[in-house]
Amino acid sequence: MKKLSFILATLHLSGVMFAYTFTTEWKIAPKYSIAFDGGEVSGIFRTFSGKIFFDGNDLAGSRFDVTIDVNSINTGNGLQNRHAKEDDWFDAAKFPAITFVSKKIAKTGNTFQVTGDLTMHGIKKEISFPFSFQGQKFSGKFSVNRNDFKIGKPGGEVDDVISITVDVPVVK
Amino acid sequence: MFKRSLLLGIVSGILAGVASVVYAKVYNDAIGTDFSAVITPLKIMLACIAAGLLAGLIHYGLMKAIQHRATLVFNLLFTVASFATIVLPFAKKLPLDIEFPELFPGLVVPMHFFPVLGWLTLYPLFFRSELIHKHKI
Repeated sequence: MKKLSFILATLHLSGVMFAYTFTTEWKIAPKYSIAFDGGEVSGIFRTFSGKIFFDGNDLAGSRFDVTIDVNSINTGNGLQNRHAKEDDWFDAAKFPAITFVSKKIAKTGNTFQVTGDLTMHGIKKEISFPFSFQGQKFSGKFSVNRNDFKIGKPGGEVDDVISITVDVPVVK
Repeated sequence: MFKRSLLLGIVSGILAGVASVVYAKVYNDAIGTDFSAVITPLKIMLACIAAGLLAGLIHYGLMKAIQHRATLVFNLLFTVASFATIVLPFAKKLPLDIEFPELFPGLVVPMHFFPVLGWLTLYPLFFRSELIHKHKI
């Protein structure tokens, strides 16, 4: 019985290793764009990094583990940039990174649907959004409610629901 | 009087423009910024000359309306207006590909005072007789 368990465990581990080893790892190319739009305030995050394993034919072995540097926020206005990093908004000193770790990727027609954990401002929430992968570029658009992450106060000039557009070219 | 006001406006605008362009060059070289996508030397010159022309027209209007106190009122208005406009660079949203937008006001705010400085500097040259006349009275 012990022998059988060992064989099964070894087979499972081999399968996992096989999946991770042979799913294509993509490197993030320099001309990426992580843009957000919240009505009165919109902008980009300049610094984005992480690991991307993706193969349209091997979604089980595909995964995203990416990080955005909060301090790289650029709204085009110096005062807004500083304000966004302060403790009543992103609190960049305490929470310098926004992370997304995928848990599941599924194919939906010509596009894909990723589900994973988004961590912002120290709060982790599961989100799901569609994305496409064409011409070695990942593109996706989704919305998050900033109140779910306790970013800023509800209402005001900045919309509660922030639209996020992601365009990430990649290379092997 | 109209010609002198207008001429003073244009000349002080050109002077302010030259000072602003020189300042922009020094600022960009010293700080290592590049805001050329937002403000070019041509735009700076045109803005300063436009400010000078507007100042000349308002000055002439005030001279017609309140002869004796026109210069005093005008200088006060011009200085206050220059000071008030410094909120604009702080509120300006720059293109997102420009780095360090927080350094933009440091470049532009001093420029907002150059037209009034140019005007006050050159005023005695253009209205010398009037000043001498007032002094005698």
